[in-house]
Amino acid sequence: MKAVRATGLVKRYETTCAVDGVDLEVAEGEVRGLLGPNGAGKTTLLRMLFGLVRPDAGSVELFDRPLHPPDAVPLQGVAGFVEDPCFYPYLSGRANLEILAELDGGPAGQEIDDALERVDLARRSGHRVSGYSTGMRQRLGVAAALLRSPRLLLLDEPTSGLDPAGTREVSSLVRELAGQGVAVLLSSHLIGEIEDVCDGFTVLRRGRVVWNGTAEELRAQAPASAYALTTSDDERALEMAGDQFGVRADRLSTGGVAITVEAGCLDPYVLALGQAGVAVRRLELRESALENMFFALTGP
Amino acid sequence: MRGGVRGVFRVERRKLAAQLATRVLALVCLVGPFAFAAILNVQNGTPADTLLGVWVHSSGFAISLVVLGFAGAWGFPLVVGVLAGDMFSSEDRYGTWKTVLTRSCSRRDMFAGKLLAAMTFSLGLVALTALSSLLAGLLLVGDQSLVGLGGAVLSPGHCLILVLASWLVSVLPVLAFTSLAVLFSVATRNGIVGVLGTGLVALVTQLLDLIGKGVLVHMLLIGSAFDGWQGLFTTHPFYGPLAVESIVSVGWIVACLGASWLILRRRDFAGTPATGRPGWIRPVRVVAVFLVVIALLAIASNWGPVGVTRARLRGSLTPTFNNVALLQQRLLGRKVRAGAKLNIVTTCFRRTSTQQGPGDWTCTLDVFIPTLGENPFQQAPVTYDVSVQSDGCYKAESPPAFVGQQTIRDTQKHQVVNPLFVIYGCFDTL
Repeated sequence: MKAVRATGLVKRYETTCAVDGVDLEVAEGEVRGLLGPNGAGKTTLLRMLFGLVRPDAGSVELFDRPLHPPDAVPLQGVAGFVEDPCFYPYLSGRANLEILAELDGGPAGQEIDDALERVDLARRSGHRVSGYSTGMRQRLGVAAALLRSPRLLLLDEPTSGLDPAGTREVSSLVRELAGQGVAVLLSSHLIGEIEDVCDGFTVLRRGRVVWNGTAEELRAQAPASAYALTTSDDERALEMAGDQFGVRADRLSTGGVAITVEAGCLDPYVLALGQAGVAVRRLELRESALENMFFALTGP
Repeated sequence: MRGGVRGVFRVERRKLAAQLATRVLALVCLVGPFAFAAILNVQNGTPADTLLGVWVHSSGFAISLVVLGFAGAWGFPLVVGVLAGDMFSSEDRYGTWKTVLTRSCSRRDMFAGKLLAAMTFSLGLVALTALSSLLAGLLLVGDQSLVGLGGAVLSPGHCLILVLASWLVSVLPVLAFTSLAVLFSVATRNGIVGVLGTGLVALVTQLLDLIGKGVLVHMLLIGSAFDGWQGLFTTHPFYGPLAVESIVSVGWIVACLGASWLILRRRDFAGTPATGRPGWIRPVRVVAVFLVVIALLAIASNWGPVGVTRARLRGSLTPTFNNVALLQQRLLGRKVRAGAKLNIVTTCFRRTSTQQGPGDWTCTLDVFIPTLGENPFQQAPVTYDVSVQSDGCYKAESPPAFVGQQTIRDTQKHQVVNPLFVIYGCFDTL
């Protein structure tokens, strides 16, 4: 059973076609990244999956049950948020969760405690949401989604506004939920933030799907990664790059060497440098293969 | 599990209770009538322009009715505007539609639950004001008899029943204004228009009541049923306008809620950037439609049968004057037999060329008093300036030279209101 099966979705706003014939499937237990630059149609697509926006054409099935906007009740177990999670600012974080639990059918004291604990908001839960930072609201949004015991999680840029530690926590939470069989659709305009979490990617550009497949397929088709290299002898490193298969090198204006490396060609080059007595002092990823692929797919 | 309508209602109840505005409104409804009665108690003035206002020092029931008169004209439209006018638009302001509609609630649940909460709180505040004004009147003034709108004296028990019935009559127009506030809130997505919109409508209703002589438009106005209680206080109560205005209120409720639901049901919750329209366009459109409706109503205000006519005014003022004149005589200690009738010939003319319609009238009541001399009757003319409203209620005032001062001394040497000084009455305009 597919958690999400969207077919031929179209949504127009006056003269703009926000989503133009999108097909999308997400399996149970799969984490799918929905990628695209700003304005690609990711949020509109998620809104249609939630029933917040009526498609002009196409259909949505969640767990094999058709969604009938505009008066559709979100299915049990479907949770998440679109754009920034929004709450009532004059109520506390806990009161907001209590209200959402009430809308889901009743009080859920222990579940609320657990969800707040899980997103590290337990200590601030009694404070008014108006005083929360963007990252705290994001965490509260995740907690609100967890309250619904999700089988399908739709998250729109969930790491936006989070510090690196928060981003890691969300990624690890998503992986943990996926391990329990939860399907996750994760949108982002930064592939670097979600590339390690996702099993597959759907890339949107101007409302259309320009790439759809697994993470392995994407990596296989991805162009070379770009690194910044600093060694004990940059001249020698440049010379050796010319002799190595799949490695290209240029001098960086700020010092060091810029190298682009085909998949599988980095390790032999680094080993060769070591054998030649050139110490690698710093090797920094500048653009991953997936990022390069993303830019290639969504660029102008 | 689903929260459904009940879940939404509980949530809205909690949100309303948490808001400062709701608490302030409840406080005003509770304390306001007491403050009003207390201020009147320490000063001599009376709100004589309001129906029965001259009796506020004489009967506690008049306090409640004056509060009802003010609340119907201004208070309740503003109160329900604050309560319901931001109930839907606040979700737009906080961006929380997407939060609540992605829980186990449909739009239908949200609409019904919010509506139920708005109406419950609105009626709760009406009940609070009714109770508070009645208690304020009874505790600070007393449960004395009240001179009704036909000049007849109503016993305290009768007054209590009529006052409670009058507040009950206001339920439908309050719900109509609540529905209108909901419509403003849903249609404009703007809290300011939602909150102030009903107050503006109340203002326009008051202005429209001043123009045109046709009864049709006046009865179709949303707040017309607030005046329905007045017919209950006449010597011969009439219920026609009350029935029609109540049906009109139901019509407003159905129309406003139907339109609100259609708008909400069809709406895409896409966020402002997706539509690409500036936020002010929608409220401006609604205000423009509103202005067109007002213009049409103003034009149509002369249509239909005329409610205020010379014959109706004369037919109401004559027996009312008879009743209050005899009451005055009793207060002064003169014996008046039950059912006595003065010989009165009343002539009325309107101070404009058209001799029909609401506005300022002048009525002269020639009272023929039997004498023992050559002339069997002594003619005593009394002239009243009569301000007639479109709903058929009027206030008649006469200079002290004709009817004496505002207060007189009764047989027990108490200063009491001179019932001839200001006369209130109502007649059926249908």
